[in-house]
Amino acid sequence: MKTVSMFIPCTVDLFLPDIGEATYQLLKRLGVNPVYHEEQTCCGQPAINAGYIKQAKEVAKHFIEVFGEDGAIVSPSGSCVCTVKFHYPELLCDEPAWLARAEDLAGRTYELSQYIVDVLGVSDLGAFYTGKIAYHESCHILRGLGVSEQPKKLITNVKGADFVAMKFSEICCGFGGEFANNYPDISEAMVKEKCENYIQSGADLLLLCEPGCLLNIGGYLSRNHPDKKVMHLAQFLNDAIPFRGKEN
Amino acid sequence: MSQSAREEILAKLKAAPKAKPAGRPSMPPLTELSWDPDQLIANFMANLTAQTGVVHRVKDEIDAKAKLAEIAAEEGLTTVIVSTDAVVAPLNLTEWGKEKGIKVLTAKDYTDRDAYKDAVFMEAQAGITGVDYAIAESGTIGLIHDKDQPRLVSVAPITHIAILPVERLRPTYERVTDIVFADKSNLPSQFTFTTGPSMTGDIQGGQFKGMHGPRKLIIILMG
Amino acid sequence: MEIRTEQFVEIAKKELKNARNKQFLSVLPLAITISRPRSMQSFPDPEAANEYGRAVRAEAVAGMPELLEEFEKNALANGAKIVWAKTAEEANAFVLNLAKERGIQYVTKGKSMITEEMGLNDVLQESGIEPFESDLGEFIAQQLHKPPFHIVGPALNIPVEEISDLFIAKADMKEPTTDPVKLGYAARLYLRDKFHHLAMGITGVNMAVAETGSIINVENEGNIRMNKSSPKIQVSIMSLEKVVPTMADAMHMIRLLCRNCTGQKLSAYISIDSGPKKSDEVDGPEELYIIILDNGRSEIYQDIQAREALRCIRCGACLAACPVYCKIGGYPYGWAYSGPMGQVLNPLLLGLEKTQDLYHACTLCGACKSICPAGIDHPKMFLYYRVQEANSDKKAAGGFITNKTAKFFDLWRWGTTRAWRWKMAVKTARPFVNRYAKDGTINKTIKPVEGWFRTRNLPAMARKTFHERWAEINKKVTSDQ
Repeated sequence: MKTVSMFIPCTVDLFLPDIGEATYQLLKRLGVNPVYHEEQTCCGQPAINAGYIKQAKEVAKHFIEVFGEDGAIVSPSGSCVCTVKFHYPELLCDEPAWLARAEDLAGRTYELSQYIVDVLGVSDLGAFYTGKIAYHESCHILRGLGVSEQPKKLITNVKGADFVAMKFSEICCGFGGEFANNYPDISEAMVKEKCENYIQSGADLLLLCEPGCLLNIGGYLSRNHPDKKVMHLAQFLNDAIPFRGKEN
Repeated sequence: MSQSAREEILAKLKAAPKAKPAGRPSMPPLTELSWDPDQLIANFMANLTAQTGVVHRVKDEIDAKAKLAEIAAEEGLTTVIVSTDAVVAPLNLTEWGKEKGIKVLTAKDYTDRDAYKDAVFMEAQAGITGVDYAIAESGTIGLIHDKDQPRLVSVAPITHIAILPVERLRPTYERVTDIVFADKSNLPSQFTFTTGPSMTGDIQGGQFKGMHGPRKLIIILMG
Repeated sequence: MEIRTEQFVEIAKKELKNARNKQFLSVLPLAITISRPRSMQSFPDPEAANEYGRAVRAEAVAGMPELLEEFEKNALANGAKIVWAKTAEEANAFVLNLAKERGIQYVTKGKSMITEEMGLNDVLQESGIEPFESDLGEFIAQQLHKPPFHIVGPALNIPVEEISDLFIAKADMKEPTTDPVKLGYAARLYLRDKFHHLAMGITGVNMAVAETGSIINVENEGNIRMNKSSPKIQVSIMSLEKVVPTMADAMHMIRLLCRNCTGQKLSAYISIDSGPKKSDEVDGPEELYIIILDNGRSEIYQDIQAREALRCIRCGACLAACPVYCKIGGYPYGWAYSGPMGQVLNPLLLGLEKTQDLYHACTLCGACKSICPAGIDHPKMFLYYRVQEANSDKKAAGGFITNKTAKFFDLWRWGTTRAWRWKMAVKTARPFVNRYAKDGTINKTIKPVEGWFRTRNLPAMARKTFHERWAEINKKVTSDQ
């Protein structure tokens, strides 16, 4: 059985552990053996974004030590995958031994939907859902990783689901980590428009693959449109696949 | 100021660490390169009309002059200023003007720059020029400005009529600049590309023509 | 030009409430999602065309000193006069002295970002030489004393009623009108008279071609052609990075510039000057001055990473692509350059201290980078500025993490490099954070992250983190086996 190492971002660990569990269940259902290194914490993105690269470097090294011996590494966050794939080699560019390890890691780290569709070659998970679904193209998944078709394939193959286009689905929701807190007026204008476009799309469910966007859009909907739902794709798919025998 | 500034700026730039950019990829494909003459014409016309330029196709100089007269009547032109370039000169438009009752001015009528400017800004209702080269890829005309192709004739009057011999059509800009800028010891003081009439969208994004230059660009494609 | 980059937050707040701007800005993203792809599709291979352009810019920046020398040599041979200026002050002084020497009463200008950067208009005005901006948008912005709202359309946001009042007061318009065409025509007539009797025209430069010593201007209105045809003196001002190796390179960059700027295949007018007019020519400048202005760029050039900013060709595509710009418009950026372009350039030209908000007010969404025809990686630049800021121990913008930031990240590093410390920190923080939670949701403001809670809730910290859940899953898996 293929073993895959789960990289569960800190936002999921602390606030959205259901997504982590859904990731685990999904991978198991796909016939791979998901493992989780308990030594993992955070990829270091907050420090990189704030400019504190000395600190980020140490966190990156910790991450590399934790995941260094694995095969494929899979994460339910494209943004954190971008940190590992693109920022680690930059951070460690002046330490050849570490750079080599970072580059090796970069080549085998995947966002979840990308792993399912591109590596496992599965695009229909046999899921069922009745309703209209819109998809938010998270910035780092779309432009960082070039992943867009993969999650959409997984959604359109859900039986009974009606995939609807959402205006400006590829425009940022206004999260941006520290940005959301430090520029609340601008961030609010952005997330407000995102939610308006979702509502206008006529969908009754918004799916995405990024925990950061989920906190932002979900947080705004919870405050202002509590009847509108937004979900991480992993959790949605896991819920929408009928129970087939013994599972954990 | 300038001498020491020059030395200081260049010295500073040269002392900076050198970067080695990755090599240049090959020139990207431009489909226009393989077009045959008919396609060149078709694409030139399509691109120009897309920019609201007007194109009339005529077979020779006689028809060109007839077309000019037609346009003059339609536009109500009574005074025009014309270039004396190699395309327009042989048409002998001064003679043509006399026949049609149109006042035809040229820059050479004026020894004084200000008097010429008065004429081109205030008197001429249209400027008539030849075209040195035209480019199919965007429906563009290229003018080499010199003593026979004054700059303001094609930009100051509200209408610009340009006569383009069909053999001057080229597929891409480079095919034209390679010729125009070949002799580095004798470059034209100015070379212009014009694609459609003058335009702006500066007020609330709504586009309109004739902001500072011509409101109409009419091409007579000859041959 | 007044520098207001430090008032970013304040101006942004005001602009967010401006309903007219909002209406205009709300359609701007269509330029990137619809118009730009459509215009790029006129290339048989758009990505190859982009790649080639990026390579040209990389090469031009890498070879800048040699290219400038080659350009100068050829421009001199063409008969142009070359003036080097280290600072905006030097360049302004040159233009002013020249104008005074020749008894110039007024000048007209083509839209030029470099003269905005220099603050040339103010300098001329103060000495009694009237500068008339002649690009319609720039003319309106100038008369209103406003900085450019957008690099391509400096006054795109100004309502027609306001323009009508302005033109009656300042451009000899007789009747009020809300018809943009009539307004445009009033400006045409007013400026036409200025062009007609013009003695000195001032323009920027889009590209300077090393191999021929030529300068190129790209425009739609014809005002720059007027500036270069009517007067006897032409002054064209370029910054160092305008130089490109060959005419063919310039042509390809112009293809990209026009498609990215306005979605056109080619702007209405491209004019290429190689020296002043010849003696037998009736119009065109008798004297062509080309000012090569440094204004901080040779300093920027010392740093290989910062130097990347000099690739910019000022097409303005990044503005429409930017979700932040599309909410706040150009004014909050507080200077000549706005949007991602300004966020990259202004910190280098004005200093990191004065421009902190510019490199922080970004979600790092990468939309600008993805469309940049010059190959600038904007987010990378912002992160680079933030690193320098962190190293300098200046206060970060925004207010959450202030001078305690370094300590915060030291602590955070401590907590994230061992899982036991991470878990301990979680256990300590959870009861504190969750005091604010009700039914699994926090909807009360928690300091110091009040910005978040202004419009958003946050899930409570998980009763069991994934770490804790895994311990249980693992136990179950082990016991099942």
